[in-house]
This record gives sequence, C-alpha cells and structure tokens, in this order.
Amino acid sequence: MCPDREILSAWLDGEIDTPWDREIEDHVGSCADCRDRLERLEAVRRTLLEAPVPDWRPAMERVRSSLVARGLARVPAAPVWRRHVSLPLPAAAAAAVLIILLAGALAVSVVRSTFGMVRITRQGASGTEIRIAAPVSDLETLLRSLEGGNGTLDEVIVLPKDVRLVPVGEPFMGTETEISRRKPW
Amino acid sequence: MVIRRIVAALLLMAAAVAARAEDLDITEALKALLDNALEVKISARIFPADAEKEPWTAASTRLTIPGRAVKVRLEGDNVQIYLICTPYVQESGEVLLLSQGQVWFTEPPEKEAKYFSTFYSVPVAYGEKVLYFPLGVSDAAAKEQGYFNIELEIVIVPYQKEEPQ
Repeated sequence: MCPDREILSAWLDGEIDTPWDREIEDHVGSCADCRDRLERLEAVRRTLLEAPVPDWRPAMERVRSSLVARGLARVPAAPVWRRHVSLPLPAAAAAAVLIILLAGALAVSVVRSTFGMVRITRQGASGTEIRIAAPVSDLETLLRSLEGGNGTLDEVIVLPKDVRLVPVGEPFMGTETEISRRKPW
Repeated sequence: MVIRRIVAALLLMAAAVAARAEDLDITEALKALLDNALEVKISARIFPADAEKEPWTAASTRLTIPGRAVKVRLEGDNVQIYLICTPYVQESGEVLLLSQGQVWFTEPPEKEAKYFSTFYSVPVAYGEKVLYFPLGVSDAAAKEQGYFNIELEIVIVPYQKEEPQ
C-alpha cells in the first residue's frame, strides 16, 4: 500500500524514524507512482526555498489603515522623543528656569563632593605644619589620609647609633604618676 | 500630557534633593569623625648613664580615631621596639589605652636574639602621660655599668581641628 502524501513529505524532510524510513525507501524504489509524487513535493520545496521572502509590510499597513478608518483600531502612538510638544510660552519659560536651577544645584553638589576638602592642620614631630586633605565624599579616603598622615602607617624612629641599649629588666608601662614612685632618677 | 511633565519635573527635583541630602549626610559623618579624632603624641627619650648629659629625644604625633591603632617602630643597632597603641574613649570620657609592646634585641658577643611581648591596658585622662620602658626600668647597678635607659612617653589629647577661615 502506498504511503499517503503527509508521510511522504515527512520522509522527504527526514522526519521518519528507523525502521519505517527504510521501508518507505524500499517502497519508493519499487513504486513509480510514489516516485512521481516525491518529485512533485521536491519541486514545490525547491520553489519555496528559491522564492524571495515577500514584503508583507505594505499589505499590513493597508489592512491597518482600513481598520483605523472603520474605527476598529487606533493609530499607534509615536515614541516619546518624536512627540510634538506644545507649551504656552510662560510655562515653557518657567520649565526652562526650573531645569537650569536644578542643573545648577546638581552641578554645585557634584563639585562640592569632588573638590570640597577636609583640611586638617596640626603640628608634626619636627614642628612643621602637616596638612591632610581628603574629599568629603569618601570617608574611606579620609581614613586612609589620616592613617597615612606621615606617609606610612607605621611611624619609624631611628635610634642613635652610639648608644648601648640592653635590657635592665622587664618591660613596663604605666601612668607617669604610677611610674614616678619607682623611677630611680 | 501636562501632568506627565509636572511629574517628571517633580522627580527631577526629588533626585536633586536626594543627592543634596546624601552630601549632607557624608559631611555630617565627617564632622562627627573629626569631632572624635584623637592626637596620639609619642616621644622617645634615651637617658645616658651620665645624668649631666642631655637625653636624646624624638617625637611623633599621629592622628587617629577611637579604636584605630597607632603604630610606632623604633629601630636601633641591636634593638627593635614596636609599639601599637589603640585608644578607646569610654562613656565616662576617660581614655582606655590598649598597648602592645614588642621588643627584639641582640646582646653581643652572642648575638642571640631575644624577644619580649607585653600587653597593657591603661586608663588615662586626656593629656596624662603614660610611660613605657621597653627594656625595663634602669636601676642604680645598671647606671653604674654605663647602660642607657630608654623610655617612651604617650600622651593622648582630643584633636583640635583648625577652624575654617
């Protein structure tokens, strides 16, 4: 029995699983009628593949215009940036002033946060003035500036070369009042 | 249409106000930080055995905030002293100074390295002097042998920031 047209089309598209595809292949090899149907299907497929893709937009526009004319559809809204704006002159002027004021306030705020500096002045070890400046917008930067006030985290004091430092006892720490009772000098 | 534009303008204004408020918050936080800042003044003194000679001195002032350590290292030929001071301000207004002192030294001719590590917790008032003797407190016998005595003085005061001109 010959397979119907749908099965032949599916077989042509490679959509028939084994072992049915082999059975169809054997049948087509021995059936001139099915070969003839297959050739027609193949011709239709080639024609569809080679034909250019039609441009449906003009037709769609015509349909849409027709629907709009009959009140069955609405004209699509234009994008916001293409819309026409009409404002009374006083309102436009007020809006412009408002925008300028807001832009100015924002600009001042940005400049303040970028260039506004906290200045710390103190007397350093050598009596020179040390200034630390950090942008007020960044607490972490300020903390790093505080830490690195003298360039490094650790202050290094180099002891003189000609002294002989040896332990004379256990390390000790206390307030001056407490120590004065036991200081020998 | 008009309502939409009014809403947009209001949103812009709200954004500007929010940006300004954030800026104020940061400024306030910085002000609070500086109001609580502390100056830690550390002086090192070496007293020669001969009392008539002038002591050698060096000083360092560090700016910090409560809970943030100040570290000072003293480097000598045969000694390294590492002092880590962390001031904490108590509710009473007094300062609790937590300090760790580490001392490495070698004694010729053995050149054997020795190490001391000590930890101190000293309640102090602002401006009160705290003394640290990393190599111990010299006695009369040590003085007779010509040894030098080293001491570190630590003073904590509130940070006085410069008034804007």
